[in-house]
Parts: sequence; C-alpha cells; structure tokens
Amino acid sequence: MRKMKTIISIEGKLALRCPDGVIFGICMPIGILLLIGIIAGDKVIQGPVPMTFLDSAFAALTTVGICASAFMGIPINLADYRDKKILKHFYVTPSSPLLLVYGNIIIGALTAIVSALGISIVAVVFFGYRMNGNIFLFILGYFIVMVSMYSLGMLIASLCRTIKSANIVCSIVYFPMLLLSGATIPYELFPKGMQMVANIFPLTQGIKILKVLSTSGTINELILPIVYLLILSIVCVVISVKTFRWE
Amino acid sequence: MKKIIEVSNLSKRYGTKEVVSDLSLSIGKGEVFGLLGHNGAGKTTTIEMILGIKKPDKGSAQIFGKEARKHRKSLFEKVGVQLQVTSFQNNIHVDEVCEELSVLYQEPADYLELLEKFNLSHCRKQPVDGLSGGERQKLSIILALIPNPEVVFFDELTTGLDAKARREVWELLIHLKKKGLTIFLTTHYMEEASALCDRLMIIKKGQMLTTGTVEEVIGYSPYENLEDAYLWYMEEK
Repeated sequence: MRKMKTIISIEGKLALRCPDGVIFGICMPIGILLLIGIIAGDKVIQGPVPMTFLDSAFAALTTVGICASAFMGIPINLADYRDKKILKHFYVTPSSPLLLVYGNIIIGALTAIVSALGISIVAVVFFGYRMNGNIFLFILGYFIVMVSMYSLGMLIASLCRTIKSANIVCSIVYFPMLLLSGATIPYELFPKGMQMVANIFPLTQGIKILKVLSTSGTINELILPIVYLLILSIVCVVISVKTFRWE
Repeated sequence: MKKIIEVSNLSKRYGTKEVVSDLSLSIGKGEVFGLLGHNGAGKTTTIEMILGIKKPDKGSAQIFGKEARKHRKSLFEKVGVQLQVTSFQNNIHVDEVCEELSVLYQEPADYLELLEKFNLSHCRKQPVDGLSGGERQKLSIILALIPNPEVVFFDELTTGLDAKARREVWELLIHLKKKGLTIFLTTHYMEEASALCDRLMIIKKGQMLTTGTVEEVIGYSPYENLEDAYLWYMEEK
C-alpha cells in the first residue's frame, strides 16, 4: 500500500508536469460543453427519448476524459517506460513492475473522474443541468465505459513495442473515435449512413449507454451495447496480459 | 571464499545466432569482476541472464545460491543493478527517482545520505534531464546502492563519459570496493578494468577467450599492458 501511494504521488506529479493530459482530458471537454451549452443547450433533439443538446453533450463529454487517458496517457506512458527500460529496472527489484502499470492506470482514472466532475459542475452551475435518469446507474455505466476503453488502451500498450508505434496507433484510434463516436460532435447531427459506421466504435456504444442512463430511457436497449463492451473488455484484457512485455 | 555469483555453462541464442556460449564463472565475496569484450560480445546478455531478465537456453546462473528468476523477491533486496543506458521518466526530479526506487525495498539506504556522499545533494530538486553525463551515472550508482546491496551489477557504467567524469566514477567504485562490496561490471575501457578489477574475463562472440587476474591475463599474452593484451586476444583467437 505504501509502495502504491508513493508511486501514485510521484507519477501523478509527472502527469501534471506534462500538461497534455490536463488539456485534452479536462479542459477540452469542459470547453466544448460551454460552447454547446451556449450555442444550442436548450434545443430539443427529436428521438425515441426526447433530450436537449445539453443532455446529449453531458453524457458524451464525460467520456472524453476516459479516452484521453485510455489512448494518450496510459499506453504512451507505458510504451515510453518500456523503451526507457524503466519497467525492466523495476523487474530487478523485489517489487513488481506491475506497480508502475497499476499506478498509471489509477492516475488515468483519477484524471478521467476529475474531468467528469468538472463537466458536471459546469453543466449544473452554468446551464442548470439536471439528470433525469438514475445517477447511480449512470456512474455504473461510466465505469463500464472506463473499463472497456482502458482495456483497449492496455491492448495498445501490449502490442506496440516502441513509443513510436504506440504514438501512431493511439492517434489512429483516439482521434476518429473522439470525432465520430459522438463524444465531441453530437451523434444526432450525423447523417444516417455515418451513424451506422459510428455504431461500430465501442465508444459510440458507451456513449449510447450513458445517454440512456442519464435520460431515463428504456434499459432494454442497453443489453446489446453492454454485452458488446464487456466482451470487448475481456478479449482485450486477455490478449494484453498474454502479450505484455517488460522490455 | 564465499561464492556470491556462480555461473555455469550459460548459453543463449537468438534465432541461429549464438550470443552467449558455454560461459562459466564464479565471483567471491568482496571481489570486483570485470567482463570485457567488444560491442555485441554478449556482455549485457550475460548480465541479464544472471539477473533473470533473460532465460538461458542452457546452463544456470545463481546469486547467493539462488536463481534470480525464481527468487526475485528475496534476492533483489540485496542486489543493486545499473542497467546499460539508464533512462528516466520525462520531467522527473532526482529526489523523486530515488524515492520511487527506495519504496520498492524493505530496508533501503537513506538516499539523502547517498546524495550527500556522492556530491549530488545540490541537484536533489533538479530534473534528471538537466544533469550532466557524469552526474547521471553517479545517480545510477546511487540507485544501485539504494537496496543496501551485498553485490552490485554495473553494465557499462562509464561508456560515453569524458575522461574527468570517468575518473570520478572510478574513485567512487574504488571506495565501494574498499568497503567490501562485491561488484560485477562490464566495460570497454581497459584502463578501467586494470584500475578496478580483481579478476576479469574477456569474451568474443559470446565465448570466453581468457580469464584470470589482470596480471595473469597480461601474462598469458606477449604484451605488458592490458590494452595491448586485450587486442592480442581479440585477434589471436
């Protein structure tokens, strides 16, 4: 426990010294929420469950912090530590290099949670947002999305042997997912064809779950997306555990 | 003399290339042992097999009578390691590197004292990236000493350092040697091997060319100093 605390405090300081995570994971989604709230917050989106653009943006933007840590923070850090033989150096100590892996995952999760809290505060204080759905189910859904995205990130960390390839793969996964899954640009604005393509992204399904849970939609339609994310998580975790290398 | 490191018939190949071939050696308590050879001779692979990072194809390596791979937890409490080309996390400070490593051991040395002793106290709050080459290697030595080790491994500790920094590092190693620490080191510099090592082994393409005390190794060759003798072994065999 003492080991973990020290590692989280030091790795946490390192995360703050490099502002990417804070900018992309916390400031950016809050900025987008402010924009959407000001431009179209009250407008109602027609659909099976009517919701405002603010409702839609709130659920979608809470996932941005998750994605920033899942596809930029964690895998790139771990690939970097592998490249620099830091993981290997941990291997020649009495403790496990897994401490560094878990430490980085926990810091990623904390950043994501701060981001979601920031978005909630801005939505409630500035735009009078109120969640119609069950907040506890929403939090549960949030962690399902987090687990699935982190498992995908860990898969990248395992399969990419160098920091260079991790950077490229992360960009290829992160940016299309961020733009096309409805996390930043509202999914409801996409034409039908594009919505169908976007549905393939696990994040699109994750956001769908959060939207339904935050607007008290019917739980029935969530079964498929949840099963999809859980299977994806299991597959990614198994492959990444089997293929992860300390060097 | 009590044996600290015992290696027998260690072999490793990558694909068809034999990197280490049938190496055997043993290092007693308080000895400084040098493994010499060109780049790619198999020095690092040998160290990594002893430390359990790589699995040997044949043979065995033991530290304190135990295989590192199977007894990491107990063994590495007393083994200090500096890996070749040590890098650190971006933006990390000197004291943070020390603290992060200290916490991994049950009874670590006080890193503040070590920084003081090695004249790095003034860099304590500085980013590691800002240290000079010599200061970085001194930091590597400190990190290897944090476990309060009985044996340390230094893999090319002085490669890339200028003459002055290299001398400083040697002085530190001589100081450690006097205190009775067992040291396993690899190096390119014959002057370094002469100054520090009680015994050495020269390897080429993973095979042993010769081993013995510095005097013995020179004595087997027609030359008077280790550098000439080393080059002679390299060409002769």
